Amino acid sequence: MTLDFSVLLRFQEALAVGLWTTIKLTLICVVLGCSLGFLVGLARTSPSIIVRGIASVYVEFFRGTPVLIQLFWIFFCLPLVLGVELSNLASGVIALTLYMGAITSETFRASLKSVGREQLDACIALGLPRHVQVVNVILPQAVLRAVPTLLSNCVSLFKESALVSAVGMADLMFVGQNISNNTARPVEVLTIVALIYFAIAFPLTRAVTLIEGRILKKLAI
Amino acid sequence: MTAASAPLVSIQSLHKSYGPHIQVLKGLDIEMKPGERVVVIGPSGGGKSTLLRVMMGLEKIDSGAITFGGKPYISSSDLAAKTVIDTEVRRSIGMVFQHYTLFPHLSVIQNLVLAPCKVRGEKKASALQRAQALLERFGLGAKANAFPAQLSGGQKQRVAIARALMLDPKLMLFDEVTSALDPELVAEVEQVILQLANQNLPMMIVTHDMWFAKNIASRVIFCAGGVVVEDGPPEQVLGAPREERTREFIDRVFHIKQ
Ligand SMILES: Nc1ncnc2c1ncn2[C@@H]1O[C@H](COP(=O)(O)OP(=O)(O)OP(=O)(O)O)[C@@H](O)[C@H]1O
Ligand SMILES: [Mg+2]
Repeated sequence: MTLDFSVLLRFQEALAVGLWTTIKLTLICVVLGCSLGFLVGLARTSPSIIVRGIASVYVEFFRGTPVLIQLFWIFFCLPLVLGVELSNLASGVIALTLYMGAITSETFRASLKSVGREQLDACIALGLPRHVQVVNVILPQAVLRAVPTLLSNCVSLFKESALVSAVGMADLMFVGQNISNNTARPVEVLTIVALIYFAIAFPLTRAVTLIEGRILKKLAI
Repeated sequence: MTAASAPLVSIQSLHKSYGPHIQVLKGLDIEMKPGERVVVIGPSGGGKSTLLRVMMGLEKIDSGAITFGGKPYISSSDLAAKTVIDTEVRRSIGMVFQHYTLFPHLSVIQNLVLAPCKVRGEKKASALQRAQALLERFGLGAKANAFPAQLSGGQKQRVAIARALMLDPKLMLFDEVTSALDPELVAEVEQVILQLANQNLPMMIVTHDMWFAKNIASRVIFCAGGVVVEDGPPEQVLGAPREERTREFIDRVFHIKQ
């Protein structure tokens, strides 16, 4: 069998549209998921055992089950439970947001914990009221510390988002599968699709390393 | 009692433990008069940091009380086993720690103005002006916009002192503020503290640096085993201690130095 990548030239536009869908989906779920993760991360440090309990059940459930099953469950079962029809875009966004929320909440929780006791001592010695301690001292440092891991979380989400093709969303992966079915050239098509994912994910992971170094240097005192 | 001799701080039979097994302070009594500069020395693990942390309101106590300017501000209530802290009084006390504890995400000048703006509601412009003046005075004028990670240890510690001074404390607590520094940086920090001593700012200083202790103290307290062993002028406690335990400690420390 000879490889023939030229068949793909005809599908440039379709691939671009699929990629754009993937990027849009990722960006939406990054914003929603990080916000959710931030709140859940805070909830997991709450003094109320009920709030903490709910938050950790959510996190453990979504971290402990395959994303593909979460996606199917939201696509097929949630409409039955809620009695509403969900578009495949909506179920994709909900599933990936919940997944992203669960993993980033762990990131936020760890970074909140990493702001040491000494910083709190300094706050108290300066007489800072509790809300100032949280808003001006703890949260900015926690968020700064979280940035590298959050970026890694985003890269994971970008790759995991390929799963939405399984519920019929026309993302990059879905388009790739279609082309491969139509042309009977799975090797060429899937290779190119993989390279496209890689071309975006790789610079991001390199950036993570760079940014991490900078932030650690800044926060090292 | 006349006003001049009324104590600024009075610590009465202070007991403090960490958990059921680690008793650190076992009935400490200290009286500090206005304008005094008390240096606390003693063996490692003797509870010197704990004493300062309690005075700053950073630790709970088991029993006893501390008054400031005649007002009780730290006491323990036997009923609820709670430590009661008057945060209003506590605001007149400033503390500098061994490890700087600057806010790493804020520039030097932002470190200085955070508390005055947020605690006292001072206008940002006026706080910035005072902060810049203070930095100039401590030889840090050019570093106002640097971040803590870009400073040397000695510079960081001077910033930490300036940050505490922004709130016009009536008493400063220094806990081994030069211990983490490279030897060549120690002097620049001690100079700043000596400057404050010249203005009669009351302070309590924990240090292992006997040269510094001798130069700054108006009074020296030797603490060991959770109690005050000896308390007197520096010439006595450092030069000719009356207590056997103090003498042993002083001999050992000076011996190591030479
Ligand atoms: N948070 C804590 N929990 C448990 N034990 C503690 C805690 N902080 C201090 N200790 C213990 O209390 C004792 C007194 O500690 P402290 O730091 O007050 O001593 P120190 O006189 O300042 O010593 P050094 O000269 O080494 O700084 C030590 O035995 C220490 O291990
Ligand atoms: Mg200590």
